[in-house]
Amino acid sequence: MSVIEIKELTKHFSAKSFSKEKIKALEKVSFTTDTSEIFGLLGPNGAGKTTLVKILLGITFSTSGDAKIFGRPVSDVNTKKKIGYLPENHRFPQYLTGEQVINYFGKLSGVNSKVLKTRTVEYLGMVGMEKWKNTKIKKYSKGMMQRLGLAQSMINNPDLIFLDEPTDGVDPIGRKEIRDILIHLKSKGKTIFLNSHLLSEIELICDRVAILNKGILIKEGSVEDITTKANTYKFNTNELNDKIMNLLLNQHKAVLNGRNEFLCNVKDVEELNGVIDYLRTEKILILSVQQEKNSLESMFINLIEQQKN
Amino acid sequence: MVLITFITGIFKEALAKKIILAIFAFFSLLIILLVLAITNSTVEGIQSMLESTGGSGMKEAVVTFEAGIISKIPMFMLIASFMIIVSSFVPDMLKKGYIDLMLSKPISRTKIVLGQFIAGIILVFTALLFLLGIIWIVISAKSGIWHVPFLYSIFWFTLIFAILYSAVILIGIMTRSTILTILINLLMFFPVSFLLYLANVYFENDKQGVVFGPVTETIIKFFYNILPKAWAIQDICENIVKGGAAVSYQPLITSLLFMGVMLSLAILYFNKKDY
Repeated sequence: MSVIEIKELTKHFSAKSFSKEKIKALEKVSFTTDTSEIFGLLGPNGAGKTTLVKILLGITFSTSGDAKIFGRPVSDVNTKKKIGYLPENHRFPQYLTGEQVINYFGKLSGVNSKVLKTRTVEYLGMVGMEKWKNTKIKKYSKGMMQRLGLAQSMINNPDLIFLDEPTDGVDPIGRKEIRDILIHLKSKGKTIFLNSHLLSEIELICDRVAILNKGILIKEGSVEDITTKANTYKFNTNELNDKIMNLLLNQHKAVLNGRNEFLCNVKDVEELNGVIDYLRTEKILILSVQQEKNSLESMFINLIEQQKN
Repeated sequence: MVLITFITGIFKEALAKKIILAIFAFFSLLIILLVLAITNSTVEGIQSMLESTGGSGMKEAVVTFEAGIISKIPMFMLIASFMIIVSSFVPDMLKKGYIDLMLSKPISRTKIVLGQFIAGIILVFTALLFLLGIIWIVISAKSGIWHVPFLYSIFWFTLIFAILYSAVILIGIMTRSTILTILINLLMFFPVSFLLYLANVYFENDKQGVVFGPVTETIIKFFYNILPKAWAIQDICENIVKGGAAVSYQPLITSLLFMGVMLSLAILYFNKKDY
C-alpha cells in the first residue's frame, strides 16, 4: 500500500471574490509515495507545492481528483494521528517555552502524557534544543524555531512527516544535523515528504522527487534517474596528442576540456569499451571514467525552461 | 482529550496575554470599593431609616440594591467588556502558520469551533462567578440577608454572553479581524438591539405618542425577533432576582435559536474554508 496516493488532483482558486476567473494552482497531478522513503517536491515559487501539501493535510480542499493517505481519504481526521507537519513560516504561541510548545502540540496530536514527557526530552535533544527548553520561544532565533518545529513534527512518532522548508534559516551545521535526522527517521520506516528550494539538500537525501511548475507535474522519478545523463562519460587521462584529440572530436563527437579531460557520448557499453581500448592502444593512461550526471539544479532549470518554451 | 487540550490552550493564551489577570484585578478593585462603601455604620443607618419611615424592610432594600447591580447599564458594561476581550481569540487562531498546524492535528474543524465557544463561556462564567459571587457574599455578610436568587444572575449573564459570543465567533471566522468583530458585535448589541428593544416595549404597551406605519412596525418586529434579545433577557434576570417570575420566555427561546443558527453557520463556514 502506498503511503500517499494522489490521482488527478486539481485545485482552482477564485482570482477575486464573486469572480469567475480562476487561478489554477494544481492541474491533474498524480503520483504516489512509499514507506521508508524521502520524497522531495520541487518547483518554482507559485508552482503549487504548498497547496498540494495543504490538500493532503485537509487544510485546503481540492476542486477535483482524489488523494489518500495510508489508504484513507485525506478528510479522515484519525489518520492525522500518524502524521507530523512542519509548515513554512510556522507560528507557535509566543508565550510558551520550547518544552511547552512540544507538550501542547503533542497533546493535540493525541499523545499520552507519560509518553509525551519522555519523548519531549528525547526529541528536543535530537534537534539540539535541550538547553533552551525552558526559554520562552519569543527569544528564539529563526534557526532555533525551525529545530523546535522539527521536534514538534516528530512528537507523535508519525509514520508520515510533511516538512516545508525545514532547513530555512538554519546554519550549515544545523542543516547537516537535520539531514542526518531525516535519514535516521527513514531508516526507522518513516516516510518524509519534503518541500524545499534548496536543491542541493534535496539531491543529498531524497530518494525520489516530483517537479511541479504552474500546477502541473512535469517530472517524477528517482533522483538518480533524473540527474543521470544517459550514455555520457567523462574521461580523465594523461596528456592527449592532436591525433587522438581529432579522432575523438570527429568520430565520437567528444567535448574536450583541455588535453586531459573530455566528455564522450556513446551508443552503448560496447562503444564505451571501444573508446577505452583505443586509448589504451595509443598508450594513453586513463585516470578515471565517470558516467556524467547533471546536478538536480541544472535539470530542474532545464525542465522549467523547456516547459516555458 | 484533544478538545480539552485545545480549550486549556485558549485559557493559557488568555492568561499569557494578561487578560485573565486584568479581569480579576479590575473585579477585585470593584469588590474592594464595595466593601469600603458598605460599612457596618452604613447598614445600621439604612436599617434605622427604614424603621423610622415605616418603609419596606431590610430584605427588600437588599433585593433592590442587588437588582441595581445587575441592571441594564452594568450588564451592558460587563458583557461589552467580555466581548471585546474574546474578540481576538478566533482571529488569532486563524493566523497563517498557526491555523495550518491546528488543522494538521487530529481534531475536527467542528470541535475547533465548539472548543472556542466553550472556552469563552467558561472564561466568562468563571469571571462572573468571582465578581457576582463575592459581591453577594459581601452584601449578604454585611446585611445578614442571604438572597440566593441574586446568584442566578451569574447563569443569566453567562447565557447572554454565550448568545452574543456565537455571533462573535462567526464574524471572527468570516472576517479574521479583531477590530471588525468588535465593531460589528457592539453595533449589533448596542445601539441596534437596544433600539429594537425599546421599539418592542412601545408596541407591547399603549401606542401613544410616535406612530409607526404597519410596514415599519413589521420590519422592526422582524428584526427584533431574529436578533438576540440581550436586554429582554436581562429583564427576565432582573425579575427573577427580585423574586418574581418571567412574564415570557419568548426572548430567551428566540435568542437561543439565534445562538444555534450562528454556531451552525460558523461550523459550516469553517468546515468549507480553505486556509
